Amino acid sequence: MDIADIQAYAYFFFTGFLVLVLYGYIYHLYSSERKGERDYEKYGDIALNDEVTDKPVETISEKEIEKKEA
Amino acid sequence: MENRPLEYDYSVAKLFMFTTIVLGIVGMLIGVILAFQLAFPSINLLLGEGLAEYTNFSRLRPLHTDAVIFGFTLSGVFATWYYIGQRVLKVSMAESGFLMFIGKLHFWLYVVGVAAVVVSLFMGITTSKEYAEFEWPIDIAIVIVWVLWGISVFGLIGIRRERSLYISIWYYIATFLGIAMLYLFNNMEVPTYFASGGIGAWYHSVSMYSGTNDALVQWWYGHNAVAFGFTVPIVAMIYYFLPKESGQAVYSYKLSLLSFWGLMFVYLWAGGHHLLFSTVPDWMQTMGSVFSVILILPSWGSAINMLLTMKGEWQQVASSPLIKFMVLASTFYMFSTLEGPIQAIKSVNALAHFTDWIVGHVHDGVLGWVGFMIMAALFHMAPRVFKRELYSKALMTTQFWIQTLGVVLYFTSMWIAGITQGMMWRAHDEFGNLAYSFIDTVTVLHPYYTIRAVGGLLYLIGFFMFAYNIYKTMSARPVEENELQSATPMAA
Amino acid sequence: MFHWLEKRPFFFAVAVFLTIAFAGLIEILPNFAQASRPTIGTAPYSTLELAGRHVYIKNSCNACHSQLIRPFKAETDRYGHYSLSGEYAYDRPFLWGSKRTGPDLMRVGNYRTTDWHENHMYDPAGVVPGSIMPAYKWMFTNIADVDTAYAEQLTIESVFNVPYNKPIPMKDGSTSTVALADSLEGAHASALEEAKLVAEDMKNQDVKDAVANGQIPEIVALIAYMNSLK
Ligand code: HEM
Ligand code: HEM
Repeated sequence: MDIADIQAYAYFFFTGFLVLVLYGYIYHLYSSERKGERDYEKYGDIALNDEVTDKPVETISEKEIEKKEA
Repeated sequence: MENRPLEYDYSVAKLFMFTTIVLGIVGMLIGVILAFQLAFPSINLLLGEGLAEYTNFSRLRPLHTDAVIFGFTLSGVFATWYYIGQRVLKVSMAESGFLMFIGKLHFWLYVVGVAAVVVSLFMGITTSKEYAEFEWPIDIAIVIVWVLWGISVFGLIGIRRERSLYISIWYYIATFLGIAMLYLFNNMEVPTYFASGGIGAWYHSVSMYSGTNDALVQWWYGHNAVAFGFTVPIVAMIYYFLPKESGQAVYSYKLSLLSFWGLMFVYLWAGGHHLLFSTVPDWMQTMGSVFSVILILPSWGSAINMLLTMKGEWQQVASSPLIKFMVLASTFYMFSTLEGPIQAIKSVNALAHFTDWIVGHVHDGVLGWVGFMIMAALFHMAPRVFKRELYSKALMTTQFWIQTLGVVLYFTSMWIAGITQGMMWRAHDEFGNLAYSFIDTVTVLHPYYTIRAVGGLLYLIGFFMFAYNIYKTMSARPVEENELQSATPMAA
Repeated sequence: MFHWLEKRPFFFAVAVFLTIAFAGLIEILPNFAQASRPTIGTAPYSTLELAGRHVYIKNSCNACHSQLIRPFKAETDRYGHYSLSGEYAYDRPFLWGSKRTGPDLMRVGNYRTTDWHENHMYDPAGVVPGSIMPAYKWMFTNIADVDTAYAEQLTIESVFNVPYNKPIPMKDGSTSTVALADSLEGAHASALEEAKLVAEDMKNQDVKDAVANGQIPEIVALIAYMNSLK
């Protein structure tokens, strides 16, 4: 098996993998909304209510601030 | 110190707005000169025989591309970041002395970098790689500027109040990472002065890759620099400014998330379309074409999402020139992301590659989509940054129509020119000999080059109107905070 | 899992990076070793040719001229044999170009002469009526930078093992060598030798005088480079 074959297999594998992840994501977006776990559409309001004095759509809790990465 | 209420601090955004306008003028002015030079070669001697070395087409062309990409577009990206970033994360730069310092340093180093680029390109110091012409000392400066911007982005995210990152932030993060990776790999070079023990020009370097490999890396970079410079950050802008200006939340937030991952996944694979008919394995060229076609989906996902955001609010398009700019921008985005995949089909690319059709494709994207969106962003930001109403709505509407006409003249003439040229290059007569000599295929383009130059000139005139409008806004009627909630206040 | 990612900027960034980096790795890396092997008959550039190549780059000739002949009849009829990957093995950077405002130059050395280039670079429209190419008169007075060309030769020899002073197989089965001087003076001397051969076929008196005085105008280096493109 030479490098070109490895290349082809890797290409095939990653493409398949990423397609799966992408479809998984679509499923996740819609199912979590249907089950009422999460309302993605409300994040659209972040752009509309964006004064410093506006209440955040989701606040960072104190505890999270302490151990937040990045 | 008195206790003032917390406000967003736009000092860095303001600085970048300034360079957006100045470098936009410089870059597009050079573009117009180039366009006239192709139609009327005597303009190569614009400043006389003595300065011809610095004013001829080939010396100026890299200055055009770099001034509009790394000057105009990149400044616009930074300006909007320093504006949108604070707002959707709900944290002011005034809250962090450190980020403020980084922001200013970022700006000033950027200005130094730009100055160095202009001087070196005029002198003919270039590596010749498209959109990566800079020699190693400037590359290092650019990397530092980029790292500083990264600190700004992640620093601000680190102190945010809003827990979730708005979709625009995703796109800015992707811009940061994408360009960082591409730029570093494409600019791997060995400075000859040091490698040879101190001989020759100190700034000269030689590419780490040779021949075909160099081309592969360059076009992997070139295509994706387009992706992460002309698409991703501009999408970030429209996802914020259009909803904000129209007062309508994004039509489907879920679709916006999905298009994001779709774009990230597909864009890089599509790079193969610059390598058609080269030495890359055939199946990969084919996949490059296939992925380019698939790329329509996430691109149109974003564009349609934007148009649908205006659902039920179409009267705003008629009444607000600002909304007009943005709606036309997303329309042109759809247009060039349809045109691109068509050109990526192997048989079409065989005809289109190396011709003016590609130049047409480039400019319906950059003038119609990138240029319009950046100007719309600045139109929206200026009243909020200066706390004044926009100087003139009428001027803005006039500008809109002049520039739209300019873009249409530009791309239609280049389409005809490109296809004519491509067909003539390949035409054979009845005996199987080439039907045209090369010069025939050049002289035939003269009318189209002239039309293009006029179109470009109209666009430039519109840009001057834009600059004037923003300038006058700085001394227009002051407005109250509550007038700035959504639609931008404009004087008739 | 997805929601977790959306809330964590750091891991989010990692995910984005991995998605975009894979494609590049798989697309580009495997071709590297394969594409860098020179074809038989491809030799590295001499000092003067390399200095000429620098003149070509300095003036962005590649903004209008490609150096890539695609495998179509119309192109091979017009420009000669289509390009092979290995022919570019010593091109750093590559100069394929992306726009053909003027004709391809990949094999221009096969059908144009020193004399033709001299007239054409001085006044393109005089040689090809209707040409929109700018005139490059300053090349007749600017002096070529041999130092930097030599520095680049030293660099590519030591860093990338470019075979200077080594036998290189030619198409007819013989071998030839491209000499690399062992000192800067030597490099200047050998470049001047080559320049004299080019200047012999030229008419411009200033250029001939300069070469006689031991100086190499840019045009001489450029023509040496053009003639080497075969
Ligand atoms: C679905 C999206 C797109 C696809 C598949 C695509 C495809 C292509 C293709 C096939 C080429 C020609 C390569 C060649 O033969 O030389 C090209 C060139 C180019 N495109 Fe696109 N394009 C897309 C969107 C865009 C957009 C939105 C912009 C700008 C706003 C853009 C800017 C450019 C530039 C600057 C070049 C010229 C590169 C050069 O030759 O220097 N493209 N694109
Ligand atoms: C007033 C507006 C403009 C005019 C008149 C103009 C004109 C030109 C001309 C004449 C060329 C050379 C084409 C050739 O070699 O045949 C060119 C190339 C290019 N311009 Fe513009 N330009 C303008 C605005 C812009 C803007 C705003 C951008 C980007 C944001 C841009 C990006 C580019 C790029 C990427 C190329 C290289 C295309 C390629 O290699 O295929 N231009 N432009």
